Amino acid sequence: MIGGLFIYNHKGEVLISRVYRDDIGRNAVDAFRVNVIHARQQVRSPVTNIARTSFFHVKRSNIWLAAVTKQNVNAAMVFEFLYKMCDVMTAYFGKISEENIKNNFVLIYELLDEILDFGYPQNSETGALKTFITQQGIKGQTKEEQSQITSQVTGQIGWRREGIKYRRNELFLDVLESVNLLMSPQGQVLSAHVSGRVVMKSYLSGMPECKFGMNDKIVIDKQGKGGASDDAGKSDLGGGSGKQSIAIDDCTFHQCVRLSKFDSERSISFIPPDGEYELMRYRTTKDIILPFRVIPLVREVGRTKLEVKVVIKSNFKPSLLAQKIEVRIPTPLNTSGVQVICMKGKAKYKASENAIVWKIKRMAGMKESQISAEIELLPTNDKKKWARPPISMNFEVPFAPSGLKVRYLKVFESKLNYSDHDVIKWVRYIGRSGIYETRC
Amino acid sequence: MPYLGGEETVRELRRALSNPNVQSDPLRYRNTILKVIRTMSQGVDVSGLFSEMVKACATVDVVQKKLVYVFLCSYATLNPELSLLVINTLRKDCQDPNPMVRSLALRNMTNLRLPSLVEYVEQPLTAGLRDRAACVRRVAVLGWAKLHNLHPSSEIDAAVVNELYSLLRDPDPVVMVNCLRALEEILKEEGGIAINKPITHHLLNRLKECDIWGQSEVLRVLQRYRPQSEDELFDILSLLDSFLVSPHPPVMAATLSLFLSISSNLPVISLAALERVSGPLLAACGSGSREMRFAAVCHIQLLLRSVPGLLGPHYKRFFCGYAEPAYIKERKMQVLVELVNDENVAMILDELKGYCTDVNTDTAQAAISAIGRIGRSYSDRCLQILTGLLGLKQDHITSAVVQTMRDLVWVCPQCSDTVCLALDGCEETLQDIQGRQALLWLLGVYGERISTAPYTLEVLIDRVRSEASLGIKMELLTATMRLFLCRPAETQDMLGRLLHYCIEEETDMCVRDQALLYYRLLHCGIEKTREVLQGRRSDPSLGVLIGRPAKPVSQWARCFNTLEPLSQGAVEAESDSRGSPEHVTYNSKPNADLSDTLSCSHIEEVHSGAEKIEEVDCAWIEECVRCPAVLHCSPQSLQAAMQLVNIQTLAFTPQQMLPWRVYLYTHTQRSHSMDAPNTTLILGELLCTGEANQKSGVKKGTADSEAGAEGKEDQLVRKEMDATADRLRVSEDGQEEEEGIKVILNQQPKDDDALRQFLTILITVLNTLSSEKD
Repeated sequence: MIGGLFIYNHKGEVLISRVYRDDIGRNAVDAFRVNVIHARQQVRSPVTNIARTSFFHVKRSNIWLAAVTKQNVNAAMVFEFLYKMCDVMTAYFGKISEENIKNNFVLIYELLDEILDFGYPQNSETGALKTFITQQGIKGQTKEEQSQITSQVTGQIGWRREGIKYRRNELFLDVLESVNLLMSPQGQVLSAHVSGRVVMKSYLSGMPECKFGMNDKIVIDKQGKGGASDDAGKSDLGGGSGKQSIAIDDCTFHQCVRLSKFDSERSISFIPPDGEYELMRYRTTKDIILPFRVIPLVREVGRTKLEVKVVIKSNFKPSLLAQKIEVRIPTPLNTSGVQVICMKGKAKYKASENAIVWKIKRMAGMKESQISAEIELLPTNDKKKWARPPISMNFEVPFAPSGLKVRYLKVFESKLNYSDHDVIKWVRYIGRSGIYETRC
Repeated sequence: MPYLGGEETVRELRRALSNPNVQSDPLRYRNTILKVIRTMSQGVDVSGLFSEMVKACATVDVVQKKLVYVFLCSYATLNPELSLLVINTLRKDCQDPNPMVRSLALRNMTNLRLPSLVEYVEQPLTAGLRDRAACVRRVAVLGWAKLHNLHPSSEIDAAVVNELYSLLRDPDPVVMVNCLRALEEILKEEGGIAINKPITHHLLNRLKECDIWGQSEVLRVLQRYRPQSEDELFDILSLLDSFLVSPHPPVMAATLSLFLSISSNLPVISLAALERVSGPLLAACGSGSREMRFAAVCHIQLLLRSVPGLLGPHYKRFFCGYAEPAYIKERKMQVLVELVNDENVAMILDELKGYCTDVNTDTAQAAISAIGRIGRSYSDRCLQILTGLLGLKQDHITSAVVQTMRDLVWVCPQCSDTVCLALDGCEETLQDIQGRQALLWLLGVYGERISTAPYTLEVLIDRVRSEASLGIKMELLTATMRLFLCRPAETQDMLGRLLHYCIEEETDMCVRDQALLYYRLLHCGIEKTREVLQGRRSDPSLGVLIGRPAKPVSQWARCFNTLEPLSQGAVEAESDSRGSPEHVTYNSKPNADLSDTLSCSHIEEVHSGAEKIEEVDCAWIEECVRCPAVLHCSPQSLQAAMQLVNIQTLAFTPQQMLPWRVYLYTHTQRSHSMDAPNTTLILGELLCTGEANQKSGVKKGTADSEAGAEGKEDQLVRKEMDATADRLRVSEDGQEEEEGIKVILNQQPKDDDALRQFLTILITVLNTLSSEKD
């Protein structure tokens, strides 16, 4: 259980402090500031023990969130809770920054009150919280609204209220993925994984029952035996290779998905919340389509010059366009000047970031582009070798690098008379770069 | 944080709060209260506004109410009398038709933390337990826990406890979990909530309804349950199976913890669970948030203690990213060292080599010492990397490399040639004390093979006046003495100067005493000196085969999924990277040496005394076994066979070599434990000199019993090997007559039964091995 929760800015000033249990004294707030935030050296561990009190901290931009406890608690849970707290705050007021926290601190106190009681996590579902903690306060409620909230807080389906009506039944599915890659200079993949989310925006009337299908290997294999492989070409929106099914390492669902059904027959059925929410989160590590390949070539010419050549190759269907491509080539600290020549896009040396930033607006598949730079170095007496940081890359591609495809999303509503065909459905795939690094 | 102008602000706020114009305008009123809270959270003492705030409490605006409550709860303990005024408002709110208001009032009533108000709170709390709305019940249940916390000694009404027990069957899952939490706190003295069969089954059946916090809580409490039959156990396990691969790390960890505790006498199931959980754990290691990654890696370290081979194929998951914080990198490197095997050693070393030049010096040094650890089994490759690193000429890297080499040479004496060659020129780059100490030690011990050793020492001796570190001076003395023994002509002069300085001018007692000791030792003659200073040297023909025992799961299961693995390992990590355990031995090295050898001569003088001590606390057995074929076993197969019966090997000579030796150790349970610690340590030596055995092993090494007392594996290896060197001298003369293996066992503390048992087991293993060979 959590004894107290503190939020500090980067200077160590307390923005929010909430103590839940008596065993946490008032000096705990200062102890963390003095020992961790104001400590000269780097953070040695996310858990700090000061006088038999444990401080768990998480940093978001330059805001410190710290949970304090005197018990021997389960560490993973406290961290998970802090992340959840961050998520909830982000859902309420966007980015977690000093400005935002100061402006919303009443709201944060309200949230803290609701989420934790006596140090025990209570209600942390953003959707449910949003119904009764609103930024305007809840004074002007009619009787009807009140009872609605009550039924929502206490009822069986906490995420959807009764009696929703839309003139146009519409739903949007976004498959958002981020590809993470670590590649050796020789082009060997050291580690690669995709973490993806399926985000749904639903504008549906009544209490619809939905069924979601994707090209999960286990399901496809099961059906393959039954001979139902006709829908393979149905939704060929993806752009990568033509593989049929993917192996998902692990996935989590929104609380609305019936897990028992998923466990037994691996079908995903649910009554969706209204509006935007995250249906599922997943991870894959096998057969990832790496949208770009970075080939670095660094040559040291004497002590004061460095030649860098970087080739990027796009590896997807020529008909697709990647966007917002940015390659970041780190330069040594003692760089005095840089000459850059690139075939495409714009490249610039940014002295403040110690990097050459090369931006390309668009690039089609199966293409190749190259940049070469001459870096002049100031001679230094510092014998420390430059520990070449990896070349990192950002991009956005219109397909799912994991190969995931949405096969169907069916909507059934028995009480109101609209059928699956009347619902307008939109599917979009976006693959973004996570940590996409190539060592040089 | 004391802010200037605090009083001024408080006065201004009070004026605003009591201004009737402000009070009549709800929005302005609320904003003023907001200002109060803001100043409060900045650390200004605004307790003076208490009475004004109490008045502000009587409002219909829920947000304003919440704000006032935040204020009241922080300052109620300072103004118990005034807080009485609030109680009335709160009690009225408890009757409000809106459940949100009811729960809010109830929560804050219990949050006031005023023992004097308990009598007013109990009645609404009891009512709250039976409220229609679940959110009120949630608050009420925890409210009882809070009340109990105010008066931990007072008895809580049995009726309430019963009511809480019955609320475990509440339709709302959060109410159920809160009941569990409340009962745990209230009944802490009796060991928490009674976990019986019906409650357990009820909780398990409803586990799916709970959110992840609830699930971890329930799983934690259920750890106390012991299934009554094997069938029930398996039912529970299969029910929990889906939680074991839960994507939420806290739930997964809590489930594993429960698995391990209820199947603690079924090791097969524990191991199967560990295997099953490795997937989700690895996923957590790659999770987007670094803190979770850190927690996962720490827990994996625990797992690896019992199942070292579990994650072998996934070693790439533990490669560090460039931007990862140092604490994760350090842990990942520790894991990588554990995962090394023949196939991946090249990749892992390549990767670790990359970390050696990390910007963060701690990370770089940790990487170097990790390479050193791997060097114990793959010395050639590692030495190549380490020598290459010396070429970078950076002080922190050189220092770490020299320290690592020193440690490596102890364990793998066969590396000494390479190390000696590599040391040339290091002294220029070395800056820090530990690094220089390591270099000095190496120069002393391997002086005859390093051509420049005397010159290096001479430079240091000339500068000894300006040397600040005590450790370096002592190390310098010992090193010069040792070098003098093997290269007297070059060293004599500088040794004289050093001794003169240390005895005449040095102010520190330790250094002076040591110098005096050496001076007098030299008076005893060169042979005596040699005996004292060069007594210990590990035998280069011995290789090391440290079988790390796979520790039983029960040893760490208790601390799994708590805070312990995160912090406890940090201490280990620190000592690992800094090499401090080794340092302890090295810093005191000269002293330890001396005391050992001195006590040897004591034995001659005060024979009875020293002997007696040994007889009291350790046992000693010699036995002859006829199984010559064991000699032809490869060390690996011998190790594997030994590990089957929980005997760990320490060091061995290559097969077919004479004299053939194997060192081993084991821990046994003491058969009749009364007050003494109930485990004993047995150290064993298998010796085949290829001669009649009556002569060998007569000398009883003091080192053995001492090493046993220390109980440190590393030290064991060293001392054992030294002891052998002594024995070697005794047993070398003689001619071949009979092939037999001599078993010498040393035990501490003494326990004859266990020792006998161990011997029979050992002999059985040896016989089996030789019969297989035949």
